[in-house]
Amino acid sequence: MSKILRDFITSKQHHAYRKEVSEIKNMAEEFSASGLSPKERMTRRLVKMLSLQMPVFLPDEKICFMRTATNIPDVFTEAEWAEIKEKHYIHELGYMSNLSPDYESVIAEGLLAKRETADEYGKRAIDAIIDLADRYQAEAEKQGKTELAAVLKRVPRYGATGFYEALQFFRIIHFTLWLEGNYHITVGRFDQYIYPYLKADMDKGVLNEETALELLEDFFLSFNKDSDLYPGVQQGDNGQSMVLGGMDKYGNNAFNLLSSLCLKASANLLLIDPKINLRVNKNTPLEVYEEGSKLTKAGLGFPQYSNDDVVIEGLTKLGYSLEDARDYVVAACWEFIVPKVGADVANIGALNFPKVIDTCLHRDLKNCNTYEEFEAKVKAEVKNTADGICKGFDNMWFVPSPFMNVMMDCDIYNGGKYNNFGIHGTGVATASDSLAAIEKYVFVHKTVTADELINAVDSNFENNAELLHLLRFEAPKMGNNDDRSDLKAKMLLDTFADSLKGKTNERGGIYRAGTGSAMYYLWHADEIGASPDGRRKGEPFGTNFSASLFAKLNGPISVIQSFTKPNLQSVINGGPLTLEFASSMFEGEDSIKKLSAFVKAFVDMGGHQMQLNAVNTEKLKDAQLHPEKHQQLVVRIWGWSAYFVELDPEYQDHVLRRQQYTV
Amino acid sequence: MKGTIFDIKELSVHDGPGCRITVFLKGCPLRCKWCHNPEGLDSKPQLMIQKNGCVDCKMCYAPCNHPECKPFGRCLHTCPNGCLKVSGKEIEASELAEILLKNADFLNATGGGITISGGEPLMQPDFVLELAEKLSGVHKAIQTSGFATEEVYQKVIGKFDYIMQDIKLVDSELHKKYTGVDNEVILRNIQWLKNSGKEHIFRMPLIPGITDTPENKATAIEIVGENNIEFLDYNPLTGAKYEMLGMKYEL
Repeated sequence: MSKILRDFITSKQHHAYRKEVSEIKNMAEEFSASGLSPKERMTRRLVKMLSLQMPVFLPDEKICFMRTATNIPDVFTEAEWAEIKEKHYIHELGYMSNLSPDYESVIAEGLLAKRETADEYGKRAIDAIIDLADRYQAEAEKQGKTELAAVLKRVPRYGATGFYEALQFFRIIHFTLWLEGNYHITVGRFDQYIYPYLKADMDKGVLNEETALELLEDFFLSFNKDSDLYPGVQQGDNGQSMVLGGMDKYGNNAFNLLSSLCLKASANLLLIDPKINLRVNKNTPLEVYEEGSKLTKAGLGFPQYSNDDVVIEGLTKLGYSLEDARDYVVAACWEFIVPKVGADVANIGALNFPKVIDTCLHRDLKNCNTYEEFEAKVKAEVKNTADGICKGFDNMWFVPSPFMNVMMDCDIYNGGKYNNFGIHGTGVATASDSLAAIEKYVFVHKTVTADELINAVDSNFENNAELLHLLRFEAPKMGNNDDRSDLKAKMLLDTFADSLKGKTNERGGIYRAGTGSAMYYLWHADEIGASPDGRRKGEPFGTNFSASLFAKLNGPISVIQSFTKPNLQSVINGGPLTLEFASSMFEGEDSIKKLSAFVKAFVDMGGHQMQLNAVNTEKLKDAQLHPEKHQQLVVRIWGWSAYFVELDPEYQDHVLRRQQYTV
Repeated sequence: MKGTIFDIKELSVHDGPGCRITVFLKGCPLRCKWCHNPEGLDSKPQLMIQKNGCVDCKMCYAPCNHPECKPFGRCLHTCPNGCLKVSGKEIEASELAEILLKNADFLNATGGGITISGGEPLMQPDFVLELAEKLSGVHKAIQTSGFATEEVYQKVIGKFDYIMQDIKLVDSELHKKYTGVDNEVILRNIQWLKNSGKEHIFRMPLIPGITDTPENKATAIEIVGENNIEFLDYNPLTGAKYEMLGMKYEL
């Protein structure tokens, strides 16, 4: 890697080349006055934005293209948006997101070839991209950057013929997709579609492992040039997710040299982008896990593992073709989607499990004579809640993106081959622990009456110190390999998946249940007060598919046994089990081997997705006090990693409160 | 029969081959000044208070009627932050084995097993023997100071697959000074282990100025052989647990 370039980017010196452009600020008003169609507006804006970009080469930079004109004006006025929102369900920002484009064929064939089949809008977009690339090319020649000039002579016009060209081509596409206004655009199976170029160059003797890694690291740096301009809930939430390894569409092992180099590049760079995912399955050798564990040790919260055996089976059960399912990637965080042809909206809604329990606690508990009666009410309420969620997405509409349309192997304006909606499931452990406590104390031991429990929850356990202690620290908890809670989680997730079965959305797709929480681990927790698991009012849930934050746990072996009990193929919208290990765990020489064996065991036991962190709590606490000393300290949030000091305090605090395992 | 344990630790990575679960037995005849598990010294249950979660609400001082709270003069069931913990629990060997064996598949799959540590496990030899018998089907390791009669040592060690034997200080005077006991029987047990054919490793905690002297290291290597000894770095965070127990850390 070029240290000069890394330093330049991480110290934000490249921001000096950025500027806000004032002449485009009234774009929406002008479009509106001319009565332009949405596609026309998007095309004009992209063409304009591309024309405003100035070619810049950073010191030592091999992979160019960065955003110099930063502000992207909206294409609709506020009044127009209000009108649109009256007629339509608008998902998040309204622009296309969480898609995995067809980098493969575009990089292979070139933009001129794609232009032939593109619509009028796509053609104009392509022309504007080529124009900017030409300006970069001319500037490269002028500055005597002959190698880069030669690369830009070929791409993006024509298909890449080598590794360097392929990487630069990717950068141009990725840069443009974000400039178009799309967001959370993923990298997909990079090691699969780029490997042929690497192999060809190595066969020819143009590259060796060392020079390829160096180039790859410079390429990885390019993901960090503009990412602070990308929209997200917090800095770092940008969805530049890369998926490595796993099996190919025939079921053969797909982990290759490039997969390995990507893991190394990420560990060497220690930056939050791209976000690394590693696909594994029962045939994945331990050595692959060891390469992954070395990256875990680096402390970025990468790689996030997903288990092909569970995910592919789950997707095919939902109607995905086997070939497409085997090609799965993750969306911005961990939602399983299909590249090129998939137009799933994998994060359209979320079911708040603890709220379901809260509703039944207050409405039904007093009228139930047995736990089974109460559980039946809970199941009905899960179903009822799911029904309500699915009714909320009528007449959905996305702002049409002409270049994104070129980049997909489907007519993305009208959806794709898959148009399913994904629903997250928040706070599973909080809910299952609550049910376990209700069963044990209200119905089995009968030591707490329904009224006492409801009053305690409603008063946030004021004057109930002993009950709070009992529920919080002595009751059964998911994560302790205790069926009393674990099987409640299984029941809740089964019910969730069953509730969505048979439902179709207006785009002809189905609904998928998941175990993720995204930011709802904070938002949903605020929708209810205290809960019967001893969670106080205002305390967040665990992130994604994780144990409650305050549960006294036996340790990670019990945790993975608990969290592999549910039928995870049926909740395949995604959402990882998250484990935090003290960084001291990684000190021993054979710790990598042991961690690898641990992750492999999780996969062999049928886990679907896992994300591990090496955390140094002392460092995090110090970073809260002295942010200036820890600018580069990285933590994992819910599906992405971030620089700790750039996070809002509530997110920082949650990281510090998570369950942590030491050795 | 019943034994007293103070902790079960999952995925302990420094306690033998593979991924392991370590059981810590309570009670130790040694008083090493650097001991990093001070809650393992006394055989009796002890109250541990996690100071950094304590908000000084004094709730635990309120009188209660729980028999289990009596010995400690505090209520164990009211702390809003879960800061009070009794270190030390009596448990039947069969019950403990059952808890541990819930993880047998995992342990076998990762080439790991169960490690018995302490405290000093050889202080509860009959319990350890019964436990080891009930743990058939998993790899078993034991960590010991070796301070036990040769009869007890050989009988217990014989039930284990892998032995982690401490060799702290070779000089008998220094051993007495820093651990409180004579090392004569330990050195005899070390000799026996060396020639026993049992898979084993000798371990020396490197305590600055005490065990990490060139003489001590050299003599230890002379006794056990160069490739048979592992030096463990001193853990400077050890002191924190003493405070939780209301004890004083001398180093």
